Amino acid sequence: MATEGKVIRCRAAVAWEAGKPLVMEEVEVAPPKSGEVRLKIAATGICHTDSYTLSGSDPEGVFPVVLGHEGAGIVESIGEGVTKFQKGDTVIPLYIPQCGKSLFHFMGCSTFSEYTVVAEISLAKVDHMAPLDKVCLLGCGITTGYGAAVNTAKVEAGSTCAVFGLGALGLAAIMGCQAAGAARIIGVDLNPDKFKTAQEFGATEVVNPKDHSRPIQEVLVEMTDGGVDYSFECVGNVAIMRAALEACHKGWGTSVIIGVAAAGQEISTRPFQLVTGRTWKGTAFGGYKSVESVPKLVEEYMKKKLKVDEFVTHTLPFEKITEGFDLMHAGKCIRVVLQF
Amino acid sequence: MATAGKVIKCKAAVAWEPNKPLVMEDIEVSPPEANMVRIKIVATGVCHTDLYHLYEGMGEDDFPAVLGHEGAGIVESVGPGVTEFQPGDKVIPLIIPQCKECRFCKSPKTNQCEKGWDGGDDVNALAVSRLTCKGKKVLQFMGTSTFSEYTVVNQMAVAKIDPAAPLDKVCLLGCGITTGYGAAVNTAKVEPGSTCAAFGLGAVGLAAVMGCKAAGAKRIIAVDINPEKFEKAKVFGATDFVNPKDHSKPISQVLSEMTDGGVDFSLECVGNVGVMCSALESCVKGWGVSVIVGWTDLHDVAARPLQLIAGRTWKGSLFGGFKSKDGVPQMVKAYLDKKVKVDEFITHNMTLDQVNDAIELMKQGKCIRTVLSVSQQ
Repeated sequence: MATEGKVIRCRAAVAWEAGKPLVMEEVEVAPPKSGEVRLKIAATGICHTDSYTLSGSDPEGVFPVVLGHEGAGIVESIGEGVTKFQKGDTVIPLYIPQCGKSLFHFMGCSTFSEYTVVAEISLAKVDHMAPLDKVCLLGCGITTGYGAAVNTAKVEAGSTCAVFGLGALGLAAIMGCQAAGAARIIGVDLNPDKFKTAQEFGATEVVNPKDHSRPIQEVLVEMTDGGVDYSFECVGNVAIMRAALEACHKGWGTSVIIGVAAAGQEISTRPFQLVTGRTWKGTAFGGYKSVESVPKLVEEYMKKKLKVDEFVTHTLPFEKITEGFDLMHAGKCIRVVLQF
Repeated sequence: MATAGKVIKCKAAVAWEPNKPLVMEDIEVSPPEANMVRIKIVATGVCHTDLYHLYEGMGEDDFPAVLGHEGAGIVESVGPGVTEFQPGDKVIPLIIPQCKECRFCKSPKTNQCEKGWDGGDDVNALAVSRLTCKGKKVLQFMGTSTFSEYTVVNQMAVAKIDPAAPLDKVCLLGCGITTGYGAAVNTAKVEPGSTCAAFGLGAVGLAAVMGCKAAGAKRIIAVDINPEKFEKAKVFGATDFVNPKDHSKPISQVLSEMTDGGVDFSLECVGNVGVMCSALESCVKGWGVSVIVGWTDLHDVAARPLQLIAGRTWKGSLFGGFKSKDGVPQMVKAYLDKKVKVDEFITHNMTLDQVNDAIELMKQGKCIRTVLSVSQQ
């Protein structure tokens, strides 16, 4: 492309400071250095974690920043020494790299931009026939929730599961529980508008904590003759994380924390809960090794074994990003996909 | 035996109220009813959980009680329907039963039989005691009451052991050693070549060290604020020794630096919620597993959720994850085969009437295990 080796000027939604709306700006994107890849973003989802960082609740969040970490695009040019990618490859940036070394990075994709540069180890090459305005969602929410059930909890066939929070993450967890053969999947949310979709994804029952005066964990323990085998926290609220653990069955129940809580907050419980046999775990990116797994998930989608389209409730042009955030904050979407 | 079918009057150390010394009393022990076994206790250990009940838990409804739950003895008589045991059998009473019928007993994932003392359908419930003193019912602690010359226990909470086993040693397999060893081997499932840390070097911590070694751990870091405990930890297989008081940095940071990111397995053997959090944070991200072994129910335990999201797993363990009736005889056999140490835990020998001295020793951290001789064999 004519842009190779040169600085690219393009649009990006910049977060100048915490708590303020994003501003559409013209940015300069430098050519990729050694080990880096520059890509043109075709589509991006908006994930609640973007909103979390924008709010200033993330202690690792620095400003100004270009957020967005759930995207898909095409390679525009590669830096020195890059052998795994070439111009024109269809790719998904990864917020957890897979470099073979024990490093740990946080985000660093910046998909709210027409062009971005990522490290080669933070990029997955996917089927060029995959529709980018759908598979971008495999860059975070769906993979995270699905993997939490299938990899981290390792849900067993015939088991009983509970999923707290029925946004994209929770729906993906439900999908994972169903794929693993769970016999009962209980969807829990304060917003009854979420229940229909949850049932379409495989929830066998739904519960609204507002309909009960007792704590939700007590309600679930009673519904399930002692508690669930697996529970998933897909909200990012420490009180719900506690409830999710305590809703688990004595002796073998396992609770997985997926949602991201605000800085400084702590989970807590009686040690008795763990001593009597419950296990508390957490997961990032669904426990998937990113580079090798994301392409396989794209394949699963292409073979219609994994739902993705059903998560997309709104498609908007990139310029309307703020409207996308508003929809999410109002609880009126599952996933908004922005197209470039 | 001549006592069969009759009430037995015998000596026991009774805890009349919390936070007071135990009192040697004459008590009455009823004959065993259906499915029960009356046991002459020959020897008992003193475990910190006995002290916890007396000094920390101090539940109003939990007194008067005969404490002690780490004992061994001989069957004196059995109730109707008991075919598994007969007078003269050497046995260890069990702090959790194994009914073999409930879904917990049937599940390979847990040892927590629902007939247990923690609030299920409880055949050994504190409320259902066979001991009386001065006309009052005296509760049986954890369904056992080994600070007594005789006790009555449901057969699903009694393990028959090898007649060659010395009761004044294997009594310790009734709690502490089995609890710590099993936490490493069954609950954490320590892997060969791994790096482990045991927080707290009392009997449970030392047993956890022993379990880590048996499981093939390459490095076992023993952590305690009392440096006098390190020597014995070495005997059990600890390779490194850390006193948090020697460092201004948090202990999790010290351990993380020593181990290139954290340990693979950590075991909390103190019963302190701050140490439980430190033990979790001392684990490596990605795969570290922390097991809570020590007992407390006074405070919540807390941690930042990021610790778990980064890949650490938090678990807990009761009685070493051993299905009790199956596991205790196995541990006795392992001891007789010299695969599991027991003698090395014993630092003091006394008689039952010296129980308050034994408790005092433990309060001051000056013992590992005191074995009390309760009756003649």
